[in-house]
Amino acid sequence: MKTIRSFFVFAALMLAVSSCDKIDINNIHKPYTPSGGGKTVLIKDFTGVRCVNCPGAAEAAHELQHNLGEDRVFIMSVHAGYLATPVGSFPDFRTEEGTLWYNDNSSNPLFSVDYEALNVGNALNEGQLDASLTTALTEPQTFEIFIVNNYDEETRELKVESEVTAASDYLGQLYVTVCLLEDSIVGRQVVPGGVDTAYVFRNVFRGTLNGATGDVYSDGQVYVNDDYIYKYNTQLDSTYNADQCYILTYIYDKSLNGKILQTAMEKIK
Amino acid sequence: MLLLGTLSLHAQSFVDQAQVSGSFQTDAQYYRLDQGIGITDLNGKKLGINGFGKINYTYGDFSAGMRFEAFLPELNGFRRELNGVGLANFFATYDNGFVGVTVGDIYDQFGSGLVFRTYEEWSLGMDNALRGVRTVIRPAQGLTFKGVYGRQRYFWAPYLEREFEIDDYRGIVRGIDGEWDLNQSIPAMHNAEFKMSLGGSFVSKKQYDMSLFYYIPENVGAAAGRVNLAYGRFAFTTEYAYKINDPSAINNYIYKEGQALMSSLSYSQKGLGVVLQVKRTDNMSFKSMYTGLQNDLDINFIPPINYTHTHSLPSMYTYSTQPNGEMAAQFQVNYTIPKGTALGGKYGTKLAFNMSQVNDIVRDSVLDHGQMVINKKGTLGYTSNFFSVSDHRFFRDINFEIDKKIDKDWHVTAQYINLYYDIETIEGHAGAPAVEANIGFLDVTYKINKRQSLRFELQGLWEKEVKKGYAYDESEKKDYQKRGDWAFGLLEYTITPHWSFSIADKWNYGNPVPEFRDHYFTGTVSYIHDATRIMLSGGRQSEGVVCVGGVCRTVPASSGVTLTVSTSF
Repeated sequence: MKTIRSFFVFAALMLAVSSCDKIDINNIHKPYTPSGGGKTVLIKDFTGVRCVNCPGAAEAAHELQHNLGEDRVFIMSVHAGYLATPVGSFPDFRTEEGTLWYNDNSSNPLFSVDYEALNVGNALNEGQLDASLTTALTEPQTFEIFIVNNYDEETRELKVESEVTAASDYLGQLYVTVCLLEDSIVGRQVVPGGVDTAYVFRNVFRGTLNGATGDVYSDGQVYVNDDYIYKYNTQLDSTYNADQCYILTYIYDKSLNGKILQTAMEKIK
Repeated sequence: MLLLGTLSLHAQSFVDQAQVSGSFQTDAQYYRLDQGIGITDLNGKKLGINGFGKINYTYGDFSAGMRFEAFLPELNGFRRELNGVGLANFFATYDNGFVGVTVGDIYDQFGSGLVFRTYEEWSLGMDNALRGVRTVIRPAQGLTFKGVYGRQRYFWAPYLEREFEIDDYRGIVRGIDGEWDLNQSIPAMHNAEFKMSLGGSFVSKKQYDMSLFYYIPENVGAAAGRVNLAYGRFAFTTEYAYKINDPSAINNYIYKEGQALMSSLSYSQKGLGVVLQVKRTDNMSFKSMYTGLQNDLDINFIPPINYTHTHSLPSMYTYSTQPNGEMAAQFQVNYTIPKGTALGGKYGTKLAFNMSQVNDIVRDSVLDHGQMVINKKGTLGYTSNFFSVSDHRFFRDINFEIDKKIDKDWHVTAQYINLYYDIETIEGHAGAPAVEANIGFLDVTYKINKRQSLRFELQGLWEKEVKKGYAYDESEKKDYQKRGDWAFGLLEYTITPHWSFSIADKWNYGNPVPEFRDHYFTGTVSYIHDATRIMLSGGRQSEGVVCVGGVCRTVPASSGVTLTVSTSF
């Protein structure tokens, strides 16, 4: 009997000693050294003009982007869901594509990291972004994307060329989506304690140039240096500020639940 | 041949002498558009079905069981991650009284659950079972040791490896618990009026540090000690728990330790019961995935100490435990006026008084790079005096109930409730004023004859603040969907032992937003045959919360038909 008791006391002590990592309060912050790879990551921020928690969450996402590098992490604010439905003089940033990607979720803010749509298991909250970015940024780069924009100020015609090149052999169902974003739009947004009438909306998704699912890149094997150029012409809406518009292009694998493999973004002028 | 014969006999007894029990339930809802209560889009979902089947087998010291679940798709208000079908739970146990071993999915609790509790609650769609191994050893009378080890259920995520594809960073949970019942262990105390038991637990999670910016502890331990004392009509129980630094999405990644204390003192005698409970929790959310929110992967359970209302309007505003910190107290008196007295009458009269209040804890700032901050990410967070109570009140419920059987045909229950409910904190409606309401109900049953009875309920909820006519921003309308005054009426006709019919209406007549002053009619028929119950209801369901044990889920407003079939054997 004593042996059993001794065993449990010993087990308890072992468990207690080996099972607590006390972090030194003066050494909480990790020195962040960006990995050498060229893999980029896209955060889709599913937000709404009437969502009181969205501005804070967006700020947290931008803080992460700032810390990790604005050339490696891109943010696209997709207004979708009940709280994106405007009333009165609130702006309407909803889009058909954004609503499809939102996939009938019922709350905001929600994020996806490197996924084209919110699917079961990949809808994240603000507190989960950090860990998801860790994984996404350390993945190998499998594609490269170059964007060339040609914008005519007089006619407001925009010509876009997105060149997607395989950086390694790859097998999957690949699609390329080309999106238009407008940054720094001023309008009404619900914030804690009321309504901010001059809120600055960042990286607002205005729509795609080739549909919600994009265009096919390959439905099978891709070999290194395989290269495709996607060309689109569009007329920029007269209400958009061309100085703040961007083209964002990403390639994703439909067979991996819509996982985005690489993203690039360029100003239109 | 002899061997085959022996095996055959054993196999036979494994069937003949075994006990098999089980239960099945299916909840199905057909949804329809209802412009009247703002349902203008079903989002492609006309039908939701939740169902389970549970079978348990016992043969001597051996038992095994399984639960099969199907959410095709899940009912509105349940987490979308539940969508799916499969064997959710299985286990096998051998327990001969000295040693017990369980493999598979484990449901267990250490003490009151402050550091470890795994359980399944069907009405919440919650299941945090630990898939692994549990060993129980009882080396002497009154002495019990337990050890558990495993990984928790996370909807339908596989258990084998971390599935980064779906952001599953679940850790491993391991824990031990010991309990010593002195009255069983010490012969001289076997029949003593003084009773005492002691217990202690230690639970640790091994998680993965996935953060880019902060050092996340990969091993987080929590310990608890408890004492149960009783003398005559008095009983006292208390448990204290401590957790080391556990930065998480719930606590905004602060590195403060967690603490919890719960105590209960009670007195009971025939016709009188008095209970006083107090609780303090501070940063005690403990999950096996530090990025988890809502009710995901809770390792522990913080028991609520509030009255559980069952009637429709009183249960509209049910308190949901705040894991980041709360100071709570509850006082309850139950008294039965004896039979044969002027007030007690022929059957006696039951009176109950309950008061519970929950406030926030006091948080003081800490120094971070020369600045005083509170709850800032990547810092110690705050300091907190253990006995200080914040002025910020989350919840208060003062209620008084009379339960009286008037004669052989009439039974009346009446209750008055005075409620304070900080809807901003509890339900996250930012900026919305707290609910301050008076609620009352009358529940009367009339027995027509031996087999038939009628029951009716009248309920009212009168909210103070709304009467003053506060302003709301157009954009925040949804926050006021259930606010203001309510009335509720129900009529139920029962023919025992099989049939029951009821009609009810819940009316939000005093909502500050005129378009929300809706009626929620329902009609219900239920049929009971032995252990089988079939219930069909149609009508509207108002938006609300369903809470069990302080854990809640939001129920959206809906309109349609609901069918529930349950049976057990």
